[in-house]
Amino acid sequence: MRDSLKMVLRYLVAMALITAVWAGVSWLLEVVRGRQILPTPWDTAIAAGETLPVLAAAFGTSALRFLIALSLAFLLGLPLGLAVGFEPKLDRYLSPLIYLLYPTPPVALLLFLYLAFGLGEVVRLVVVVMALFFQVVVAAQGAAKYIVPSHITAVRSAGATQWQIYRHVVLPATLPSVLTAARVSVGLGITMLYIAETKLGVLLGPGAGLGRFIEYYTFRGDISLAGVVGLALLGLLFYVVLELLERVLCRWKFVGARGGT
Amino acid sequence: MIEVDGLTVIYGRGGAAVPAVAGLAMEVDTYELVAVVGPSGCGKTTLLFALDGLLSPTAGRIRIHGEEVRGVRRDVALILQDAGLLPWKTVRANAELALRIQGRKETATKVLADLGLAGFEKRFPSELSEGMKRRVGIARALALQPRVMLMDEPTANLDSITREHIQNLILGLWWEMGFTGVLVTHDIEEAVFLGKRVLVLSARPARVVEVLDNPGMGEPGYRGTPEFAAQVAHLRQILGGNGP
Repeated sequence: MRDSLKMVLRYLVAMALITAVWAGVSWLLEVVRGRQILPTPWDTAIAAGETLPVLAAAFGTSALRFLIALSLAFLLGLPLGLAVGFEPKLDRYLSPLIYLLYPTPPVALLLFLYLAFGLGEVVRLVVVVMALFFQVVVAAQGAAKYIVPSHITAVRSAGATQWQIYRHVVLPATLPSVLTAARVSVGLGITMLYIAETKLGVLLGPGAGLGRFIEYYTFRGDISLAGVVGLALLGLLFYVVLELLERVLCRWKFVGARGGT
Repeated sequence: MIEVDGLTVIYGRGGAAVPAVAGLAMEVDTYELVAVVGPSGCGKTTLLFALDGLLSPTAGRIRIHGEEVRGVRRDVALILQDAGLLPWKTVRANAELALRIQGRKETATKVLADLGLAGFEKRFPSELSEGMKRRVGIARALALQPRVMLMDEPTANLDSITREHIQNLILGLWWEMGFTGVLVTHDIEEAVFLGKRVLVLSARPARVVEVLDNPGMGEPGYRGTPEFAAQVAHLRQILGGNGP
């Protein structure tokens, strides 16, 4: 409990620090260029207050969209990654395929995605899922390759089926690295979300996602910047949620000799 | 009763083929505890895995209670080297792992208590001492109430006090539960302390080169007797080494 309080405190200090730097940069730019370039934190806060209902709606929509995309990426990517990492035959045949597709940015395919799926909700999800899916696959595959053989022997010697080997060994053994990878991918995912909501969201109102909100208010720098802050907070939210998830699901990682009790 | 006849296990194929066990024959009577010793890497663990049905022999036959072994049997339990505990499972979940995999509803509460692990059920392996980890590994096998117990170096890498403690524990359990046991070890004293007979294997590929009868085995006090010392010296001579 005291640890979580300390963590919250550290985040508050970090936010204060970022706000201070932001204010400094804003002031410096104004002095150098003779007019306001970057709205100050104060202006942005006021702008956020003015548009609060719309901003909140945009935040909620983006959060839900990202949650669905992340869940889909896990649902599809985790089984595939674990199987490819754990079954040498699948590894031989599917790994080249994965490694060829992995570095292809879905952004480069936006035109085709748009033509294929139209401008509805589906295409925005597809872009984010595509980016996160490969992150999950590659992380799961890497972790599943290095499972301790005696852990497999332990369950096989009890007569485990292949499904039981996955359930008792492969999944729990790889979960910490997969969750860490997912946390690292939050930044990439938010970027993709922004692109999906701007490039593929031109028909929407400002409440239909933070990306759309930012673009909709392009000519009101202060409001637009409030949307950017919202995007940063959205990333932080998912980062923290994934960290908490790891602490709950992988409790064994945080006890004993390796973790602090 | 365990009967092994002409057991041959070859890893790999063609030019890369490595024979681990070649034409090995042995028998273990019901309720007998037999120790298997041999040079490092001679195929002892391979023999044990074949007995457990984890790998199928290239040639030869293994029969347990008259039935040919064609896979993992529910009346056979294996104690792994370094216990093979799953770090993400608590002591209780580790001890009940084999039960759950076999879809059995029993708990390991009594076994854990008998092995002095009561109160540690919710701990994770990383919170336990090395000796406690081994006891959890033993608990996992005992919880199955097996008729045959296969043990792969159950005291390797333990300090000498903990090692003797675990050896006494295994001896006591053998008396109490009456299982048929095969214990693989590279520790000469352990083989003499826990083997009613001691099978000596050759260097890889493994064959039985000598069988040492050890009628005095069976009491914790055996360690201090001149007979024990003589058997240890004899076994050491057979193995051709000057030290353990």
